[in-house]
Order: sequence, then structure tokens, then C-alpha cells
Amino acid sequence: MSDPRQESSGTWDYETLPPNIHIGRDCFLESPQLFRMFASERDPGLVIGDRVRIYFGGWGGGFGILATGSMEIQDDSVLTGVQIMCADRIVVGRRVQISYNAIIADADFHPRDPDLRRRDAVLCSPAAPPGERDPFATAPVVIGDDVRIGINAIVLKGVTIGAGASVYAGAVVTSDVPAGATVAGNPAVLVTRTP
Amino acid sequence: MRLEHDWWPGELPDNVAVGDGAYVHSSYSFHHYRSRRPCGVRLGAGSSAYEDASFELGPSGEVDVGDCTMLFGGKFCTNARIVVGSYTLISYETYIADDFTAVPPGDPAYPSSAGPPATTITIGDVCWIGVRATILAPARLGDGVIVAAGAVVDFDVPDYAVVAGNPGRVVGWARPRSGAHEGRAAALSERGGDTPLAPADP
Repeated sequence: MSDPRQESSGTWDYETLPPNIHIGRDCFLESPQLFRMFASERDPGLVIGDRVRIYFGGWGGGFGILATGSMEIQDDSVLTGVQIMCADRIVVGRRVQISYNAIIADADFHPRDPDLRRRDAVLCSPAAPPGERDPFATAPVVIGDDVRIGINAIVLKGVTIGAGASVYAGAVVTSDVPAGATVAGNPAVLVTRTP
Repeated sequence: MRLEHDWWPGELPDNVAVGDGAYVHSSYSFHHYRSRRPCGVRLGAGSSAYEDASFELGPSGEVDVGDCTMLFGGKFCTNARIVVGSYTLISYETYIADDFTAVPPGDPAYPSSAGPPATTITIGDVCWIGVRATILAPARLGDGVIVAAGAVVDFDVPDYAVVAGNPGRVVGWARPRSGAHEGRAAALSERGGDTPLAPADP
């Protein structure tokens, strides 16, 4: 059995990842556990640019990408224990910093209607009979270049964050953020001060 | 030093001081630890750091924890100095960080620093920090402060205040306001003055 310290220090063999994951040069992917929930059937399902660093923040973290999802992370970005929940499309620009325990989600993942959700719960059960799940709301998330997303922040479906914007710690973002702006709070609102 | 009960095949760094009767659950709490200070982390007598605690310290980082403080969580992200008092409880998924977009030490984006670390965050005695709270520099929390679950705090909080919300604000007091200005003295009398902690039974 391999030494878990090696598996958790970015020195494992990235070639063992699925072929629809494309990784650029000089990346640091802290642990293969980041990819345990990667299920994309698109090609590419995940594109990681050059010099990207991705840290493992715990069992909730990593790339939860469904069969229908695809994601791109551009050059020089750093994701620190971030949790990705992707059913459609998430794009992270260049030099983006996403801090500890943040969540980026581009879908509801379950139907909003309670009757549909009851059926969905059965279909999602480990004892599920084969069946087609009902659709749920999705909308791409686009995070511009040089954006900073704070500790424990949550960015939800359909949000575009303009270049150079900041999302303060713990903010819950449900609407677009203009370039260069700072948002904070739950729900996130524009704030004037620069953190 | 190897912890005999450790699930992770690592060792406690040499510059970590664990007081009498104090407990560290796992060396995995030091997975990103890079402190080169003479004492990077000090845990006072009878204090405890459980599996969700993490010391993400840069080369200049220091964390000083008092006696009988429980770190059920507490991710300390600093290249400066964080001071936590005694008899304080810090719950799960709580971050205490110099910067709202902290990255692990060793990362190319990690800010460099020179000289001895300044204290960026203090948390007093007998504080109670709720689940998923985020405490950011330059926060200074007095004694007896209660931070509610999910609150975001980046400002000074007086003794015995209750802080809640995101953004966090003072929503009440943990004891009648009249005694608040004597907070320090009250906290000391509650624990029997400055007498040292009695040694644990062998």
C-alpha cells in the first residue's frame, strides 16, 4: 500500500486520472481524493491550466462533477480545499484565489417541486431501481480573472463574477458581481470598503 | 514526536509545545504547518486539539493557546501570531485567519513576511466560538465572548458580547451589561484568580 503522506503531498501519478481530465504544466494536485466524485462523461470534463494548485480540504472537498458537467480552471489559479458541485459548466479564470472550504455550485441538483423531489429521493437512493431522474435547475458559473473568493464563501448557480472582484469570507453569492467590486454577507451585498 | 494514538503516519513537529495533560488528536493537524519559530504552537495545560483543528502556519506563524481550551475545530491560518486564552471552546469548521483568501503556506501565492510576527488576532478567556464561524484579522475578542454559528467577525468585540450574523454584529451580552467593564477581573475571579491549573490526576 502506498504511503498516505505521498498521496497527500501532490506527488502521486496524475496519469492515473480519467482521460477526459486535461492537466497543464507544473500543476500541484494535493491528493487523488480530490477526484473521487468526478463523474463527467463530457470530453473534456475538466481542463486545468498551467501552474494551478489545488489543495485537499477534507472529505467534503474536491471535484463533484456529474456526467453532464464540465469545468475549466485557467492558469495560475489556486483552490484551497474548495468544493466544486458541477452539473453544467463552471469556468474559473486566471490567477483566481479560492480559499478554504468555499463552495461553487452551478445547479440545484434536485427538483424544486416537493412531489418531484420525493421521486428524486427514491431514484437517488442506494437501493434505487433504474430510472430517469427529473431535471433540475442549472446555470453556468463564470469566475473572472484575478477574483478572490474568501474562506467559507458559497457561490451559487448562474453567477458571473467580474474580473478582479472580491467575495468576502462567508458570503453567499446568488447574483452577479461587477468587475472590481467587493461583496460580503449572507445574502451577499456590495460593500464599499476593501477588505 | 510520534503520538501513540495517531491515525496519520506523521510526527508532531519539534517546535510544538504541548502542556501537561494537553491532548493532540493527530499530527495531521500539522499537514501544512511550516512554522520555523522557536515555538510555533503552544497548547497550555489541559487543552485539546481534535481532528478538525489545523495549524496552517507560515514560516513566521505562531499560535499561543491557554489552558483548558478545547479546539474541536479551528483552522489557524497565519504567518503572524494568533493568541487564544484559557477555558475557551472553538467549534468545528471555524477559521481564524490573517486574510480572507488565505492559501496554505508553501503556495506560490503565500504572502512573504519579514521580522518577528505581530499579533493579528486575539481571542480571550472563556470564549465560545460556534460552528463555521470565521474570525479574521484584525479581530480582537475580549473575555467571555460568544460568537454564534456561521458568524463572520473582523472587528474588536468587547468582553461578554454575543456576536452573530454575516456580517457579524453584537446582538446581546452573555452576562448583565453592568459588569462588562470589569470583564477581565470577573473572568479571573471565576477561575480563582491567577492560580495555576491543578495538575491532572496521574
